[in-house]
Amino acid sequence: MSESVSQFGNGAEDQPLSRRGFLKYALLVFTGAATAVGVATPIVAYLWPPKQAGAAGGGRVNVASTSDLPPGQGEVFSVNNKPVLVIHTVDDDEYVALSATCTHLGCILFWNEERQVIACPCHEAYFNTNGAVISGPPPAPLEPYRVQVEGDQIFVEGGES
Amino acid sequence: MEATSRRKWWTRVGDWFDERFDVRIPLEAFLKKPVPKHAIRWYFCLGGITFALFIIQGVTGILLSLYYKPTPNEAYESILFIMNNVRFGWLIRSIHSWSATLMIAFCVAHMLRVFVTASYKNPRELNWIAGVVLLLLTLAFGFTGYLLPWDQKALWGSTVGSEILGVVPLIGEALLKLLRGGLEITGLTLTRFYGIHMLVLPVLAFIFLGVHFVIIRRQGISGPL
Repeated sequence: MSESVSQFGNGAEDQPLSRRGFLKYALLVFTGAATAVGVATPIVAYLWPPKQAGAAGGGRVNVASTSDLPPGQGEVFSVNNKPVLVIHTVDDDEYVALSATCTHLGCILFWNEERQVIACPCHEAYFNTNGAVISGPPPAPLEPYRVQVEGDQIFVEGGES
Repeated sequence: MEATSRRKWWTRVGDWFDERFDVRIPLEAFLKKPVPKHAIRWYFCLGGITFALFIIQGVTGILLSLYYKPTPNEAYESILFIMNNVRFGWLIRSIHSWSATLMIAFCVAHMLRVFVTASYKNPRELNWIAGVVLLLLTLAFGFTGYLLPWDQKALWGSTVGSEILGVVPLIGEALLKLLRGGLEITGLTLTRFYGIHMLVLPVLAFIFLGVHFVIIRRQGISGPL
């Protein structure tokens, strides 16, 4: 018999399961399983490939109404998770939409109404309403977005995600 | 009934390995150390908690690396993707961010405990030094990880942080160039910090953790005050 008593076990396996023993065991299994499921679920769900936001085609977004943007004004809107600057130009009375992410280091640009230019708060960069660099460190012009005006609503289209 | 069938399955698994590799005695000598009475206190758990947080950082960090893109154009966008599109992405990233902060706090708390209980003294000087290296590695993890979201806070945090290196006499500018991959923070800095954060620091951390744990097992925990 002494052979059967292992160094790992306590040798008390013959006794019937007591109520206390059962509850202890059940609680342990339940807590263990709940913890395992609670940790594994988010990880497996995380690993499962998510829907690509751009898969539906980027989509057209209604950003504002024409009354929000009188001539000479511009504002940054979120279009498919990307900041887009929509400007109502004074010269041509047109709506222009440009990426509001500076091509230098990715700061969010803003519309300088006094000087009628697009400005970057980080390194004093300026762009004109065509998206071309006037001055400052940016290496490339701003990416344009398509704008459509239907009735009094402004729509912006483009951007991959 | 046969004797073997009455033994618990884990006992039998243990016996199976012991028969083949003769590992029970050396393993028990290393793993089965009773905790001395004076050490059964919450403040003796601080080092273990730091290690647990390190494991959490490893797991969540590996998960984040599956979606993160270390390029200037895509880094911030991939963070937005993780936060908004990936299932539980917000949870994984938030855990990584919070437990990074907690890890530094617990690391410092552990250091204070070792200091207050005078556990750094002879013969444990080298383990104190290994611990100091681990604290520096933890801070380096935090510093390099801070840049990776590639937002304004990251950019300026890293600018100011790395600027400090520039005031080292004579070789300051060379060091700054080496760290940033140029004089400015650019895409080169991003990939540099990414490589350090993901490969260099984890390897060093595992080496020093190994040293830290082997020493504490060899010498045992320090005596009561």
